[in-house]
Amino acid sequence: MVEKFHGELRSLKRDVLEMGYLARDMLQRAVKALETRDVSMVESFDRDKKRLADQDHEIEQKCLRLIALYQPVAKDLRTIATALKMNTYLYRVGRYGKDIAVLVPDLVDTRDSGRLADIPLMADLTIGMITDALTAFEREDLSVIQDILEREEKVDALRYDILRESLDCMKDDGGSITWCTDCIMIARYLERCGDHACKIAEKVHYMVTGERIEIR
Amino acid sequence: MDDSTILETRDLNLWYGPKQALLNISIRVPKNTVTALIGPSGCGKSTLLRCFNRMNDLIDSARITGQILFEGDDIYADRTDVYTIREKIGMVFQKPNPFPKSIYENVAYGPRIHGERHKEMLDDIVETSLRRAALWDEVKDRLHEPALALSGGQQQRLCIARSLAVEPRVILMDEPCSALDPIATAKIEDLIIRLARDYTVIIVTHNMQQAARASEYTGFMYMGRLVEFDRTQQIFEDPAEELTENYITGRFG
Repeated sequence: MVEKFHGELRSLKRDVLEMGYLARDMLQRAVKALETRDVSMVESFDRDKKRLADQDHEIEQKCLRLIALYQPVAKDLRTIATALKMNTYLYRVGRYGKDIAVLVPDLVDTRDSGRLADIPLMADLTIGMITDALTAFEREDLSVIQDILEREEKVDALRYDILRESLDCMKDDGGSITWCTDCIMIARYLERCGDHACKIAEKVHYMVTGERIEIR
Repeated sequence: MDDSTILETRDLNLWYGPKQALLNISIRVPKNTVTALIGPSGCGKSTLLRCFNRMNDLIDSARITGQILFEGDDIYADRTDVYTIREKIGMVFQKPNPFPKSIYENVAYGPRIHGERHKEMLDDIVETSLRRAALWDEVKDRLHEPALALSGGQQQRLCIARSLAVEPRVILMDEPCSALDPIATAKIEDLIIRLARDYTVIIVTHNMQQAARASEYTGFMYMGRLVEFDRTQQIFEDPAEELTENYITGRFG
């Protein structure tokens, strides 16, 4: 019975990672589509969104079933609690990817689509944070997320840079309002994804050490 | 010993003949709480429980060193009366063991041998004890029927009522639910939690979920040692010792 439980727990971790990589890839592809003006990159997003929702549902069910059947304790319980929370954070990350993807077809047609400001840089930082949070969860290794707060601060700073630049741009050129508003939205989505990476890092820290921390 | 500690052992060692069953146990049991002792078979948890009211005195080959303090007094001191200790520190066993007498006589037995003869007083003790053991409503109309006609769960609550009748301070329970079905177990667990308002309960259990549900403090024992003693939530959420973690998560051996 114990073997079976631990096998199921390993399978749960694999499911969370699979969902995490899908959510991260949705975000990455949406930004890449903006950069490359390649709308075909976001064509599968309806399917991905459905897959993400299914994974969210399956992981939640699996967690509740493991708790009900095995009454796990200690690190086993912390792993399940972490999986349940990560599930929600990762779902949100994937949805922000979808929200960015929705903007892509209109944006690539505008005259301003070459001006992405620091969005690609911000996306790289955010995606790196999510990847490392997932790696920390997979390997139960906190060293890869030790500097996550500093990275989060850089993401925040970039968001305000983009906000300021976009406001200036809108003041100078009324025709750029649509584009700039979308940039502000995208920066906001990426900043939220960075927050979710931090929340995942907090939960992984709890899973590994039993200690609850607040990164910010 | 601070005010909140009712029982304490200091470097307690116990041998059964040449075999050492307890090694340097130092534990402080907080007053008016439920403390659970968990650990694999043969780890010494029942032996430790039996030390608290000197039940091991009944085993010829048992020998102890170290101290056991009840409310600050050494229970093995020459001046200590073992019967007084067992009156103050009662015990409930794994298998319900009512006397082959009526329900009433089971509860009245203890006070009677301690000299209580007045019927009104005995009636009062019987009712109070049965109420505290959450059994009164089920047996009040058949107090003079044989105790052995009760169900297993009722018999166990009767044994708890019997131990309460002599007004103990501490109740020791050695796997009190292992012979009971889940409904009777749930009733005993609810009772254990309620009893901790007025008494200190120490329970030995193989059922880790029971320890998690019913106790505020948990001690994990292994091969005669107390590996870890802490608040139950801490033990089951984030134990300090790897050995504890391995045992409670089933990764043992």
